[in-house]
Amino acid sequence: MSSTTRHLINRQRRLAAVATLPRPVPTEAPAPTPTPTPEPDPTRPEQSRQPRLPRWRRRPRPTAVLLVLAVLLAAFACWAGPAAERLRSGPAHHNAALTDPVRTSEVKGAVTEAVNSLFSYSYADPDRTDQAARRLLTGGAVQQHATLLTEVRAQAAARKLVLTTTVTDSGVQTLDGARARVLVFADQRNTSTADGATDAATYAAAMFAVDAVRQGGGWRIENIDTFGR
Amino acid sequence: MTVRERLRSGAGAVARSGVRARLRSLAAGLLVLAAVAASWTGWSWYAAAHDGPAARATVRDQVLAAGEQAVQNMNTLDHADLDRGLDLWESSTTGDLHAQLVQGRADFEKQVAQAKTVTTARILAGAVTELDEPAGRAAVLIAVRITVQAPQAQPAAKDSRMLGELTRTASGWKLSALGQAPMGSTAGSATPTAPAAAPGTAAPGSAATPSPTGR
Repeated sequence: MSSTTRHLINRQRRLAAVATLPRPVPTEAPAPTPTPTPEPDPTRPEQSRQPRLPRWRRRPRPTAVLLVLAVLLAAFACWAGPAAERLRSGPAHHNAALTDPVRTSEVKGAVTEAVNSLFSYSYADPDRTDQAARRLLTGGAVQQHATLLTEVRAQAAARKLVLTTTVTDSGVQTLDGARARVLVFADQRNTSTADGATDAATYAAAMFAVDAVRQGGGWRIENIDTFGR
Repeated sequence: MTVRERLRSGAGAVARSGVRARLRSLAAGLLVLAAVAASWTGWSWYAAAHDGPAARATVRDQVLAAGEQAVQNMNTLDHADLDRGLDLWESSTTGDLHAQLVQGRADFEKQVAQAKTVTTARILAGAVTELDEPAGRAAVLIAVRITVQAPQAQPAAKDSRMLGELTRTASGWKLSALGQAPMGSTAGSATPTAPAAAPGTAAPGSAATPSPTGR
């Protein structure tokens, strides 16, 4: 830019010098040095070449850029839409275990209490367990519970058995609306206070899973999974 | 160039520039549509992936999968392929548990090589009980059935109640603590042992078969 203007100034000076020919021109001295203008001025030759370029190389850039951007964004949308949908509606999201801490601890507490009373049995008060069964069981669990306690019931009176079950750990596997599955670890203490019985209590570790359903403001156990034992 | 040719090329240029302008506005329209769709779905995806219950549910399921796999690994060991088995133990764990395993490896190898046992495990059920995502810590409850096959003996199946702690590492969630749920505070037995894969390390007191009945 500046070299171009300098070139123009020099040229004007040269013309002026020619006009006043007889006078020796001291300012002429630097002017004849080879002007560097053609070199840093590459726009000119290119401009003259440009019309010969194929049309597609020059013009439609804005349109192509717009289209490429549109395709990229559309591709992103095509990926993000289903990805979000998968996250929202996937089985993971239907399961509110731990993601809804209030309901998770509610069902955990309800199942813990239910298991504690359902699997505790005293020869002195068998009715208490029966009441718990009526209150806390539903569906197939009624029969499962009865089967599991058959042996205890049979021996309870004669051996003065007291079975105490205490849930030690539990974890909600799934929680979907009014249904839940809870994994339960429990300790069971069995004592016989019959005359002549050895005083020692026996202990057993239990693990099983229960399916619970919410009915009438409370959770009821619907299925007891003892893992095939 | 004749006058005619010049006229024709001029008309062509006008027509072409008209088409070009139309194409460009069409492309601009498409771009606007695509941008709207992309920002809508992108925001929706980001929201689902980075906060709220959906994101937490995803992490919970990752933790459970990692915990179950790790417990399975830690209860699987073939005396004929000790190196691979113990490498798997080490790659499933981190922190103190990992250090413990590395430290006790030589002794343990000797024990298992002598006992010639093949231990396999099947996960019966599992649940995440705690999840502290910012801290990268979680706790799981896992029910597992372990089968030990000793030479010239019937395979013995035993159910085990596992409590595990997981820690998030650069390569995923790994077990940082693992033990059997202690049985009855008054029972006094069954202190949880670390890896309970082989008969040498399993707590004998906890061999009672867990079942809901008090037998």
